[in-house]
Parts: sequence; C-alpha cells; structure tokens
Amino acid sequence: MTALTRTAPVTRRRFGWAKLAAYAILVALAVVYLAPMAMLIITSFKTLPEFTRDAISLPKSFSIDNFVEAWNKASFPRYLLNTVIYTAASTAIFVVTGTFLSIAIARRFVRGSGFLFTMFLIALFLPPALIPQFQLILRLGLYNNPIGYVMLFLVNPIGIVILVNYIRTIPTELDEAAAIEGCSYFRFVIQIVIPLIKPAIATVAVLHAIGVWNELILATIYLTKADYYPITRGLIVFNGIYGNNWPVLAAAVLMIAVPIAAFFILMQRYIIGGVTAGAVKG
Amino acid sequence: MRYLFGNGASRLAPYLLITPGLFLYALFALGPSLATVVFSFTDASGLPKLPINWVGFDNYKEFLTLGAAARENLDALVRTLIFSVGVTVIQFSLGLFVAILLNQGLRGTKFFRTLFFFPVILGVTIQGLMWTLFLYPIGGPLATVLDWFGLQSEFLGGQPREAFIWVMVVQIWANMGITMVIFLAGLQTIPDEIYEAARIDGADRGQLFRRITWPLLTPSVNTNLALTIIGSLQAWQLFYVLISYRPGTQVLGYVVYATAFGQTSGSTAGTTFRQGYGAAAGVILFLIVLAIGITTQYLLRRREARLLG
Repeated sequence: MTALTRTAPVTRRRFGWAKLAAYAILVALAVVYLAPMAMLIITSFKTLPEFTRDAISLPKSFSIDNFVEAWNKASFPRYLLNTVIYTAASTAIFVVTGTFLSIAIARRFVRGSGFLFTMFLIALFLPPALIPQFQLILRLGLYNNPIGYVMLFLVNPIGIVILVNYIRTIPTELDEAAAIEGCSYFRFVIQIVIPLIKPAIATVAVLHAIGVWNELILATIYLTKADYYPITRGLIVFNGIYGNNWPVLAAAVLMIAVPIAAFFILMQRYIIGGVTAGAVKG
Repeated sequence: MRYLFGNGASRLAPYLLITPGLFLYALFALGPSLATVVFSFTDASGLPKLPINWVGFDNYKEFLTLGAAARENLDALVRTLIFSVGVTVIQFSLGLFVAILLNQGLRGTKFFRTLFFFPVILGVTIQGLMWTLFLYPIGGPLATVLDWFGLQSEFLGGQPREAFIWVMVVQIWANMGITMVIFLAGLQTIPDEIYEAARIDGADRGQLFRRITWPLLTPSVNTNLALTIIGSLQAWQLFYVLISYRPGTQVLGYVVYATAFGQTSGSTAGTTFRQGYGAAAGVILFLIVLAIGITTQYLLRRREARLLG
C-alpha cells in the first residue's frame, strides 16, 4: 500500500505530460484534416470577389446564392437521381445474390466451396478487369447505357469474404435444429440465416453503396451522354466549366459532401466494422 | 459439412441459389480479370467493328523497349514504386502512431477517430476537388498562408516533382483512416493485464511497445502492409482528379487507363484506344504487384513465425 501511494503521484505527473503531448499531436493532425474541409465550407458562402481578395477570411454574409447557382447550373437533381438509381439497383442485386452465395459457401452446402471461397479471396490480387470488361459491355451493346453501367457493380469479392467469415461464426447446431423441424432450404436461408446475419449484410451493403456512389472512372469510361452522368462525373464536368469560380464550385462539392457526412455519422459502426472485419484475425 | 435439408431435387436448392451470384462473378470480375492476359497479346482497340489480331509479345516489347514512349513507361514504373514506398511508409507509421494515441482512453477519441476516417468515404472526386481548392495557387487558402511567411508555391500546377508529392500527401490524407481503424481494432484485442504485469515488472514505455504492442499487433501489421502496398501500387485516380495526365507525373495504373481509353496528354476524345497495349501494361503492373506481394507475404510470415512461434 505504501509503495503504491509513493509511486502514484510520479506516474500521474509523467502521464500528464504524455497526455498533453498526445493532445498536441492529435490537434495538429486534426488541423490538417479539417483545413481543406473548413476552407470548402468558408469558400462556398463567399462571393467571387471576396474569395479573390482573401481566400481564408470568413465570409461577410452567409449568402446561399452559390448553392442556388450550383444547384441550377450543374443539373444537380438529375445527376443525383442517376447516382441514387445506380447505387440502389446495383447494391440490391449484389446483396441478394451475394448473400445466397455466401451462405452456401460458408456452410459448404455446395461442392468446391473451399475453392470458390479462394476465388473470392484472391480477387484483390488479380489483374484489373477494366479492359476486357469494356470489350464485353461494348459487344453486349450496353456501352453508354445505364443498364450496362449498373452491370459493372454487381460483384464485390470483399463483401463475399466479409459475409462468409460472419456466417461461419454462427453455430451449426442451428442448421440441425432447423432440419429436424423439417425446414426447407429456402425457408432456412430466408427465415433463419438472413435475420441472424443482418449486421453483416448491412455492413456489406453500406460498403458497396459507398463504392458505387463515389465511382468516377467507370462513369467517365462508360457514360458519355450527359443525361446518364452520376453526380461524381457531373462534378468533374462542372469543375471544367467553373474551374475558376471557386465559391460556386465549393458549394456544389459541399452539397454532395454533406449527405455523405450525414450518412457516415449514422452508419459509422457498420462502415468501420466492415473495414476492420477479418483484419484482426489476419 | 453434411447437407441436412433433404435429398433428390431439394439437394439442388443451394446450387440454384448460388447460380446468379456465381454467374455475375465469372462474367464481370473473374473472367475479365483473367482475360486481361489474353488481350495483352492482341491489337484490340476500343472500336467494336475492328477485328482483333494476335500480335504475340509485340505489346510487351513496345511497352518496355520502343523509343521515347518506353523510356516514359519505365519512368512511370519507377515513379509507381516511389509512390508506393512513400505512401506505405508514411501511411503505415502515421496510422499506427495515431491508433496508439487514440487507444489511451483520452477524451475526444471518438471525435478524432471520426475525423481521421471521414475522408475515406468521400471518394476521389470530392477528395480531389477539396484539395484542388485548398491548393489553388492563385490566392487560394494554403497559398495565402504561405504568403504570410513570404513563401509561395504552385502546388499541383508546379514542377512535376512538386505536383507528385502533393498527390502523395492527398493519397495519405485520404486513406490513413483505414490503416488507423485496423490498428485500433488490433490494439483493442491486446488485454490490459499484459501491460499491467509488464509495468509491475518495471517495463518502460519503449519496452511496452517493443515487447508487447508490436509483436501482438502482428495480424494488423500484416493486413495493413498488404492493403497499403497493393493499394498504393494500383492507385492513380487521385492523379486523374488532381493533375490529370501530365508528363513526368504518371504512375503505371494511369498509363494503363490512359492508353486503353485514349486520355493521354490531357486530350479526352478522338485519340486511339489501344486496349491490347493497355492490357499489356496492366499485366506488367499485375506482375509487379504479385512479385512485391509475394515477397512481403514471405517476409511477414517468417517474421510472424519468429515473433509468435
């Protein structure tokens, strides 16, 4: 007891300095992370002359003119709707087909399950599918076609790996109990397994949706008609036209970033859970 | 495991349910991925009417040995390695350091974690445009700050080397959050009791890290190294958004895209789509990723065996 009381103040004081240093480093890094975001927000409320005079100072008045202008001139509603459609359609199809696939693979209900799982595991290392994929879509006559574009996002190997690993944590006694009750395979999958793996499905759906939502390159390759542009492509084109009018451009970027931020804060648990899934196990 | 849901026709139920997913994977991912190798031996273009001919190793020969373009390609290859090493070393160390700081039970941990991870989900378009504004050379925010100290820079519009370094900065800024959360998850699996015991034995901070944290973090170290190395070797999209195809800055991934989809030297339309040639460049990049990936995996396994027995 005496030994503890003697050493305690010393450790506490040393810890105090360490704590201060830790905070100093974290705050410095936070500045680096916040600065570009803060500048985007500040700029979006400024007039162009204000921005040119002093890029850093706060705006004189918080006018929403830039937002109105960006919304009207950038065909925002249309691009946003396109993005929502592409994201929803491809995520729905991937999640449904991917879940059925993962259950059978995780439980080894089909021959060659181990081999199939390996096929998904190595996908990360394989050569990029970009060029043959383009030839395929071209020959299917689906180039510059929203359906062809959605087809590019119907598979996601990492999602399968996350699902399979999660399903494996569910005890197999459950399968036996269901089988004894005379449950059919379809009912087993839909009414028993899927409700149990909802968190993993949510994680995979969210990760996949973010990927489709943010896609720029494939939209640049496959969609040349402005009516089909997703919001990412729309922003880049808008940037080409409004390259020097930073206040309006910043307003446009911000209007896309804010919904993503809101979504992130709501879904943070699933997103970070998905990123770290399997990582700790190695 | 044994199938429990009946025999005969009902034995086919799982096969039926996996068919759509498997079909999509084969058609849109695995098939095209492997077909890249086949295409690399042809003169395929991006036009549907033109016939495709076998050209053997011509694309590879041209890519690696023919004239000025080949020299540029080799420069791009070296640049890819520089980019990858730089990004990996900094992102890995920073991610580990920040994760350790955020694992001390400090107040505000959640805020910092959210902030540092946030850029990850913004995607290259917003990441890129945000930094293009921040680094706007004519009176932009960072330019103004530099001006206070009498300094100036053209940032992304400057010399190729300077622009390249700024892309690296944005790449690390955008992806450090991934490394950080993976390390955080790893750190949380290390029981406090081990640290307590070591502290009672008189271990100092450095020893705690070297003897406990670092070895027990091996699985996260392996995952992070693999993800960051492969990711940075294949990365090029921020180059596209931040500086587009500029001589002296391209990395291999961008060369693949630009040659296959005709976006070299800033022009966006009308140029040739050399898809066979682009596929050869893609295979070369793949081989580099594979070689580096296998080597690191081998080294990491050996290290793991030594550390964890």
